[in-house]
Amino acid sequence: MTRVNKSAAGNGRRATITIGNVIRRSDVPDVAAWEGFADEVKTLIGPGNILAISGELGAGKTTFIQALSKVLGIKKHTLSPTFSLMRSYRLPRTYQGIKRIIHVDAYRFAAERELVVLDLDEEMADGSSVLVVEWPEKIPNWLSRHASKTVRIHID
Amino acid sequence: MAVTPKSKTSGSRVLGIETSCDETSVAILDYAVRGTKNEVRLSHHETATQIPIHRRYGGVVPEVAARTHIAEVIKLLERAGVFASGKPKFDAIAVTKGPGLATALRVGIEAARTLAYITDSTLIGVNHLEGHLASAWLVPQNRARWEFPVLVLLVSGGHSELVLMKDFCRYQVVGRTRDDASGEAFDKTAKLMGLSYPGGPILSKYATRGNPDAFRLPRPMIHDPSLDMSFSGLKTAVRILIHELGPRTQDVLPDLCASIQAAIVDVLTSKTARAIAAYKPKCLAVVGGVSANPHLQKELRKVASEFPDLIMLEPPKGFYTDNAAMIAAAGSWHLARGKSDSISKLDAAPELDL
Ligand SMILES: Nc1ncnc2c1ncn2[C@@H]1O[C@H](COP(=O)(O)OP(=O)(O)OP(=O)(O)O)[C@@H](O)[C@H]1O
Ligand SMILES: [Mg+2]
Repeated sequence: MTRVNKSAAGNGRRATITIGNVIRRSDVPDVAAWEGFADEVKTLIGPGNILAISGELGAGKTTFIQALSKVLGIKKHTLSPTFSLMRSYRLPRTYQGIKRIIHVDAYRFAAERELVVLDLDEEMADGSSVLVVEWPEKIPNWLSRHASKTVRIHID
Repeated sequence: MAVTPKSKTSGSRVLGIETSCDETSVAILDYAVRGTKNEVRLSHHETATQIPIHRRYGGVVPEVAARTHIAEVIKLLERAGVFASGKPKFDAIAVTKGPGLATALRVGIEAARTLAYITDSTLIGVNHLEGHLASAWLVPQNRARWEFPVLVLLVSGGHSELVLMKDFCRYQVVGRTRDDASGEAFDKTAKLMGLSYPGGPILSKYATRGNPDAFRLPRPMIHDPSLDMSFSGLKTAVRILIHELGPRTQDVLPDLCASIQAAIVDVLTSKTARAIAAYKPKCLAVVGGVSANPHLQKELRKVASEFPDLIMLEPPKGFYTDNAAMIAAAGSWHLARGKSDSISKLDAAPELDL
């Protein structure tokens, strides 16, 4: 926490999408601009995909996920799942085979094995969910097992 | 006059079980009516906090034990005398059914279903949030002054809600956070300042020595006419401030903490004041982990004093964080109203709302 990134400190954000070895950068000048970015992201995902959203405390991970939920038509407001660890949201209408968003926040995990309590493999077994994870750096092993299905987004 | 749940019987005993997220807790609550007086007595209450689990298991966390509550709930039920010979009799077994983690909730629910079947007791699934509301009712002085409607400010690591309680078992959420909970705001800004986890209580301790007006931090949505709140912007504001202060941050820590606390409490109290003006409740209560914060308690009392007819209830000392006593208490409300759940059908409701 010694380095304070000036851009993450206030004036807009930058989001970097990584899928395999394809990297794409977008400027997100203000909170409202996340919706345009989410519109772009939603075309890249399908059921079974994992969106790993990284970025320091307050970078805008939850804010982006709120925008993504909104562009997917979810009416319920997305809240920070830091304390609840996991929340899920149903899409009112299936989009590209996606029926549900599972929102996980690994921030409070002291060890990756605490992940067992979320039973993620079971949650994803319906074949129609997309998993969105904040603080993916806390669960590197689980994510590396699902690398081929993972889309990484870094916010700074 | 004190308001209490109408009860057919003159007494009942409720076993409460809570396993929704971090805490495992078991309680036994006796509720009795003697003449015109009602008595509520907690004959047993024990909570095992799971957060420092790696420490509790000496660094090695058995896969299944991590946050799954199984070992804990059995140990706690045993200590409550539930497995003692001579078949314990409960009128009801109240268990948290949601919101929370499905795997954690199911541990409590399976235990409750099994015990309800064996002991032939009524099974009651309780909303965890309703449990928090009931924590205010566990305080004897509050029961004596209780009058509906009650406006409850529910503030914890995972929740920041304003709930209007029109009667037992009748609730309306009138305001809520749109992003981070207030307890989360305390913990995360504390983390930005390098305080150890959970930083909220440490932050509020530093704050007692600081000047709350030293730094001007944003109070998002404070002028918004809705009763909704927002706290995520504080993280950015505090980050900028720390960046500007640089190494001076450590010298001004008390001022910084006091200013952060003031910003959070200001949002909570002004939204509460707005809710009182809009719904004219008879009583005001504050519950949840953040309700232990002395500054919040003091500022809420100030707000309440501006409404001459409003009764300010006491914060639920001893029942601030997740616990089974409050689940048993909410269960007793259901029991008094003849509400129960089917032993074969009760299941976890991870996304349950009030
Ligand atoms: N593109 C943007 N431009 C300016 N401000 C932004 C932008 N995106 C988000 N913010 C602001 O930054 C804050 C981000 O908070 P948010 O809770 O979304 O971060 P987070 O990355 O989820 O944090 P945490 O690590 O606590 O989970 C919010 O106050 C939000 O309004
Ligand atoms: Mg977040």
